[in-house]
Amino acid sequence: MTGHGGVVAAATGAEALSTELPVGRSTGWWGMVMFVATEATLFACLLGSYFYLRFQYGPQWPPNGIGDPELLKPLVMTAVLLPSSLPVVWAEHGIRQGQRWRLRCGLAATMVLGATFLALQATEYAEKLKHFTMTTDVYGSLFYLITGFHGLHVLVGLTMIGWLLATSLRGGSFGAHRHERVRNAAIYWHFVDLVWIAILFTIYLSPRL
Amino acid sequence: MSTPPGPHARLTGGLLLWFGVLGGAVAWAVHLLAAWGLDELACAAGSERVSAVPLVQAVGLAVVIPALVTVGSLLVAALVWRRTMRAQRAGAQDRAFGRSRMLAVVGVWANLLFLTIIVLSGIAVLVLPPCQR
Amino acid sequence: MSTTTTPSPGASREDLARLAEHWGERPSLRAWFATVDHKRIGRRYLVTAGFFFVLAGLNALVMRTQLARPEAGVVSPQEYNQLFSMHGIAMIFLFATPMLFGFGNFLVPLMIGSRDMAFPRLNAFGYWVFLFAGLFMWASLPFGAAPNNGWFAYVPLSGEQNNPGLHMDVYALGLLFLGISTTAAAINFIVTALKLRAPGMSLNRVPLFVWAIVATAFMVIFALPALNLDNAMLFLDRRFGTHFFDPAAGGNVLLWQHLFWIFGHPDVYIIVMPALGIVSAVLPAFTRRGVVGYPLIVLSIVAIAIISFGVWVHHMFATGLPQLSYSFFSAASTVITIPSGLQIFAWLATMLLGRLVIRVPLLFVIGFVVTFVLGGFTGVMFALTAFDQQVTDSYFVVAHFHYVLIGGAVFPMLAGIYYWLPKITGRMYHERLGRWAFWLVFAGMHVTFFPMHLYGLFGMPRRVYTYRSEPGWAGWNLVSTVGSYLLAVGLLLVLVGVVHAVRRGRPAPADPWDGDSLEWSTASPPEPHNFPVLPRVHSLHPMWDERTAESVGPGATSDRILSEGRHTLFTSELDAHPERAVQMPEPTLKPLVLAAALLLFFTSMLFAWYPVAAVAALTVAATIAVWLWPPRPLEQDLKVVP
Repeated sequence: MTGHGGVVAAATGAEALSTELPVGRSTGWWGMVMFVATEATLFACLLGSYFYLRFQYGPQWPPNGIGDPELLKPLVMTAVLLPSSLPVVWAEHGIRQGQRWRLRCGLAATMVLGATFLALQATEYAEKLKHFTMTTDVYGSLFYLITGFHGLHVLVGLTMIGWLLATSLRGGSFGAHRHERVRNAAIYWHFVDLVWIAILFTIYLSPRL
Repeated sequence: MSTPPGPHARLTGGLLLWFGVLGGAVAWAVHLLAAWGLDELACAAGSERVSAVPLVQAVGLAVVIPALVTVGSLLVAALVWRRTMRAQRAGAQDRAFGRSRMLAVVGVWANLLFLTIIVLSGIAVLVLPPCQR
Repeated sequence: MSTTTTPSPGASREDLARLAEHWGERPSLRAWFATVDHKRIGRRYLVTAGFFFVLAGLNALVMRTQLARPEAGVVSPQEYNQLFSMHGIAMIFLFATPMLFGFGNFLVPLMIGSRDMAFPRLNAFGYWVFLFAGLFMWASLPFGAAPNNGWFAYVPLSGEQNNPGLHMDVYALGLLFLGISTTAAAINFIVTALKLRAPGMSLNRVPLFVWAIVATAFMVIFALPALNLDNAMLFLDRRFGTHFFDPAAGGNVLLWQHLFWIFGHPDVYIIVMPALGIVSAVLPAFTRRGVVGYPLIVLSIVAIAIISFGVWVHHMFATGLPQLSYSFFSAASTVITIPSGLQIFAWLATMLLGRLVIRVPLLFVIGFVVTFVLGGFTGVMFALTAFDQQVTDSYFVVAHFHYVLIGGAVFPMLAGIYYWLPKITGRMYHERLGRWAFWLVFAGMHVTFFPMHLYGLFGMPRRVYTYRSEPGWAGWNLVSTVGSYLLAVGLLLVLVGVVHAVRRGRPAPADPWDGDSLEWSTASPPEPHNFPVLPRVHSLHPMWDERTAESVGPGATSDRILSEGRHTLFTSELDAHPERAVQMPEPTLKPLVLAAALLLFFTSMLFAWYPVAAVAALTVAATIAVWLWPPRPLEQDLKVVP
């Protein structure tokens, strides 16, 4: 088993090719992954609809003098939301070792970041609503539906995190042997984060391309 | 075959199996979205070019690359099928071999189906002008 | 034939008593609403879907009566629109999928050797949502506010300007509501089939019916979001003045069609696939051999599930896209016939090579093959763009999809009802009555729908409330109407047969058919815990395999009896190696409360009572939070210092 050829031979042997993969996941994990899969499809359809309508519309996009979206605020929002996954990871690793303080601190940090994101989004809406609303034209409809739907997901994610935080304050709700709920909420939160990148590209960056 | 494969080889082997089973399906999905999207959007915008590349060539790439991936997936599936069959012939009792072999059979035929679809689309690209309605 | 005694001597009397205590439910009103038993929920799915089927069938009879002769006046054009729309919506969304999910609910845990679904409470929740969503939509019909734009609700006809009133709001909200149930059930099926299979049931030993249900569930997961988004946009356009489908403000009506058929074509297979699974499950018992080519059938299930996502544009060949675009979808539409044909030939070969036992379920299977092949044949014709453009929106299309759906879904369901009735009710059905029902249903179906091919080709458009006598369609329409009454009588006989079996049928043995899959190793009807001993599976046909039978006999180890609590076993995803025993949830009313809160939410959205909707949404969140509140801490975690 030495050298490159040995590695290839080992990986393409009958035994390696019959490795059980995936293996050992819990039902909760699978349930959350399937739920995220269906949600991700929903966002894919949503962003697909955006591009479909945009390219069918013609060269001037956003239409009717709305102007390209401002970039500063969404980039700040990105800088707030993306790192919010890290405390969740840290908290999850903590609780696996039975360290409840890490769970509580990590979740609290994520709560703060997520809430900041929502607050920033609210100020962004306040500005934009002066220029155009959901009923102005199809661009307005798409903008508010996509960002609003994502905002709703952040809210749901925050509710999950807040719920975890509340339950974790009761001693022994979570521990080294019971952290499945933390993990499932973490999967959802990471998903919400990743979707934001797709939205950032679609709504804010792609009109400038 | 004498030494059991290490964790790294096991991970690669497990992923290879799934590439052999589903590689063609994924390649076809990418092909369909890319080829259709390019054609539809370019024609709707009234041009037969995608930036500098002629539309036919762009769509052609969206046919050829997925077709090659599917062929690769087909070869992997055939390899899994042969290796697991030999292992079973040699008397291995592990039921994982039977499972892998069944998945490999599914993979071989599935990849042939997806290759057929991609090739048929390729013929259409050769025959039809891209924006004719 | 097996005996009627409990077929598992492996568990001791004490074990059985403990299992009965942990899993049994004392009959009470609360227990009836709180049950999480997959068998009771499955039965409820079957009965409720059957009820919606009867309602939608009555709609069809009224329509056929109206069309029996030219310029009849049984219903007004407005009523006719609602009748055909509700007929289609109910048959597709409220009957076909829930009926098959009912079979899946009852059978999947039994077939894979588990004691319940992976998420029993979610399962109960899914049922209540289905029931409430169905009632939500049907309730609109007596008020004349039912959906009236066909089951695919094309914009701009379904837009606010062209279609004021609540009709299409009921459609959009009803389907969004129902989508929750379908998604929940799909996730549950996938996880159950991945984690709860009996030890030894590696992927190459999974029954074909379970493969079919799982593939269907995957299709639901990836197809349904398109429909949900479509309906959300439609509702926003109608109620809140957005412009997704409004060309005047940059929207596009074709977006509706694209999203709808991205869902809609997979949905055809979502309906047919589990039904084909029923065929594969029924055949072994009546041909006395396994279905020929197991890996190839698995292949065709997987391939159809995937390719069905790449054919949607063939519903839109008349909308004027570039021809090269069409041909990508034409290629997929043509090739998807290969795996479909593969299954048909595998079943024919099974019948050819096996020894046929002609009983009612097999008759329905044969009726299915004949009818479905005819429907598939006209389906292939649509893959030719030129032909498709000629017959789009004519009765030819109506004939085609009734052949596919009645042939491909209803016949297998009827086969399944007769086949599993002994297992579900513990009673045998009346064979002669069943045969009468089959011949009436079969004849009625063809007399009704075959002429539709003809008058479709003669030019009769679909969805017209009446027609004039000049084109000469009247005679064939009368034939169709007579056929539909015949079909109704046949289906009534099926119902009579079921009621007769429940009331008067002779008690069924555990395994009346000498079947091949694990559900026949349980009692008829199964105990609440299904399996006194979880079997160890050694082959694709565990009931025809000595070693599997031995595994539940004397010497069964306690790790497969698990009588200490409400326990079942997790096994690994691909090869089903035992992982650990898990505690399953107790009966609870929370699923019902949650579904009721959702009903309140959607009802108040419909009537624009937004404050009520907000309260309902908060109730939903609170119920979920209470539902998921962790149970009391574990011993070993309490010792760790916080």
